[in-house]
Amino acid sequence: MTEKKKIKPIMKKEPIDPDAPFLRIEKLNKWYGQLHVLKNISLSVQKGEVVVIIGASGSGKSTLLRCVNFLEKAKDGKIYIEGKRIRNQEKQLNRVRQDLGMVFQHFNLFPHMTVIQNVMEGLVQVKGLPKDEARERALALLDQVGLNDKAEVYPSMLSGGQKQRVAIARALAMDPKIMLFDEPTSALDPELVGEVLTVMTDLAKLGMTMLVVTHEMWFAKEVADRVVFMDDGVILEEAAPEKMFSAPEHERTLEFLKQVLPH
Amino acid sequence: MPMKIIPWDLGAIPSRFFLFGEAAWYTVQITALGVLLGLVIGLIVALGRLSNNRTISTFSRAYIFLIRGTPLLVQLFIVYYGLTSIVTIAPIPSAVIALGVHNGAYIAEIFRGSIQSIHYGQMEAARSLGMTRSKAMRRIILPQAFKRAVPSLGNQLIIALKDSSLASTIAVPELMLRGRQMGSSTFMYMEMFIIVGIWYLLMTSVLSYAIHRIETRLKVSDRD
Ligand SMILES: Nc1ncnc2c1ncn2[C@@H]1O[C@H](COP(=O)(O)OP(=O)(O)OP(=O)(O)O)[C@@H](O)[C@H]1O
Ligand SMILES: [Mg+2]
Repeated sequence: MTEKKKIKPIMKKEPIDPDAPFLRIEKLNKWYGQLHVLKNISLSVQKGEVVVIIGASGSGKSTLLRCVNFLEKAKDGKIYIEGKRIRNQEKQLNRVRQDLGMVFQHFNLFPHMTVIQNVMEGLVQVKGLPKDEARERALALLDQVGLNDKAEVYPSMLSGGQKQRVAIARALAMDPKIMLFDEPTSALDPELVGEVLTVMTDLAKLGMTMLVVTHEMWFAKEVADRVVFMDDGVILEEAAPEKMFSAPEHERTLEFLKQVLPH
Repeated sequence: MPMKIIPWDLGAIPSRFFLFGEAAWYTVQITALGVLLGLVIGLIVALGRLSNNRTISTFSRAYIFLIRGTPLLVQLFIVYYGLTSIVTIAPIPSAVIALGVHNGAYIAEIFRGSIQSIHYGQMEAARSLGMTRSKAMRRIILPQAFKRAVPSLGNQLIIALKDSSLASTIAVPELMLRGRQMGSSTFMYMEMFIIVGIWYLLMTSVLSYAIHRIETRLKVSDRD
C-alpha cells in the first residue's frame, strides 16, 4: 500500500543534455496592448529544482508561467526545455505541453467528468493509453494525492483542496518533466491550504522540478531552492530563501516581504 | 327550436379527434427530421462563427443574418417553388429542408452562446494536457456546451413544431392542412381547428415534460 506503487514512466525520455537547465527562459517580452507586462525576463530552472516566484499582484507572475507553456504568446524571447528551443508551432506545443504540468489557481477540472475520468483524460486522449492501463495509473496518482476514495465522484462534490489535489494528479498523469503552479492555494479557504502544500512538498521531495507562483511564504521558505522576486514585469532579484527572507538586496523586496510576512 | 348557447357543435370534437392521428404523425416527422438537420447545420455554423478563419466565420455570420432575417414561409417557398428550375423537391423533403435550414440558424446561435459561456480555463486546462484545439473542443468544451444548450434547444424544438404548420402551404398532409380540409368538407371550421390546437398542445406538453426530465437528469455533475 505504501511506497510500492511506483508510477512507471509512460514515454521514453529523449536524451538529455546534462549541462542544459531543464527550463530556460531567455529575454522574454510580453505586451498586453500598451502594457509591457514582462520586460526582458530571463530565468533558468535546473533539474529537480524548486523555484518559487513571489511578487505583488499584477507584477506578471501568472503571465510568465502562461508564456512558458504558450497559453499566452510572448512577443519575443526564447524558451528552452532541456536545451531544446520551443517554438510557437501547434504540433510541437501539443507535445511539449505534456512535459509541462500546469496547475491553475481555479483548478479548471472538467466538471462533466468524474475525478478518475479527469485524471485519465490526458492519458487516453493524448497519450493513447488503453483505458484499463490509464485507470490503473490514475488510481495510483489519486493515491499519491490521498484521494483514491473519491475516484468516482464528480468534481462538484469536492472541497477546494480536494479539487486542487485532483488537478495536480491530472497534471502528473502526463508524466511531466516540470510542474508549473500558478497560485495553487489562493482560491482555497485557509484551512484547506495545508493539504495542497503537503502534496506539493511531497512532490518536491520526490525530486520533481517545480516552478511555483505562490503567496505562501512558508512554502517558499521551507521548500524552495531558490526564490525569485518579480516586480513590475522584471525579476528584481533571485536568491536562496534564507538570503531572500533575511537580507534581500533591494528596497522593493524588503517592502514587499514586510507586507506579506506576519508580524 | 331552442337557441344554441354556443353556435358550434363541440360534441364533434371528441368523435373527430382521432381522424387527425395520421396528420399529427406527419407533423412529428417533419419536425423531428427538420430539427435534426437543424442541429447538424447549427453545430457546423456555430463552429464556423467561432473559427479563426475569416472566410468561414464571415460565411457563417452571413448565413445566420440571411436566415434569421427572413420568414420561414419565404424560405419554404424558395425551396419548394423557387428551386424548381434546377431541381424539383417533393413537399415533405422541402418542408424538412426548409425547417432544417431555418432552425439551423437559430440553433447555431444557441450553440455559439453556450460554447462561449464555457469558462476559458477549460480550454486552457485541456490544451495544457497537450490536447489539440479540436480534440479539446470535442472532449471538453462541446459536452459541457451541449448540456447548457438543452433548455434553449428544447424551446427551439417547440417553436419548430409549431412552425411546421407552415408546411400546409406546400401540401404536406400535416395537422394544419388536415384541419383546413376537414373544415371545408364539414363546414365545422372552429371545431376542426380546436382539434388541431389540442393536438399541438398535447405534443408541446409532452416535449416540455421530456425536456424538463432531461434537464434534471443532466444536473448530476454540476452543483456550482
Ligand atoms: N488577458 C489580459 N489582458 C490584458 N491585461 C492583462 C491580461 N492578463 C493580465 N493582464 C495584466 O498584466 C499584468 C500582469 O498580470 P499577471 O496576472 O501576470 O499578474 P500576477 O503577478 O499574476 O498578479 P496576481 O498576483 O494578482 O495573480 C497586470 O497588470 C494585468 O492587469
Ligand atoms: Mg496571477
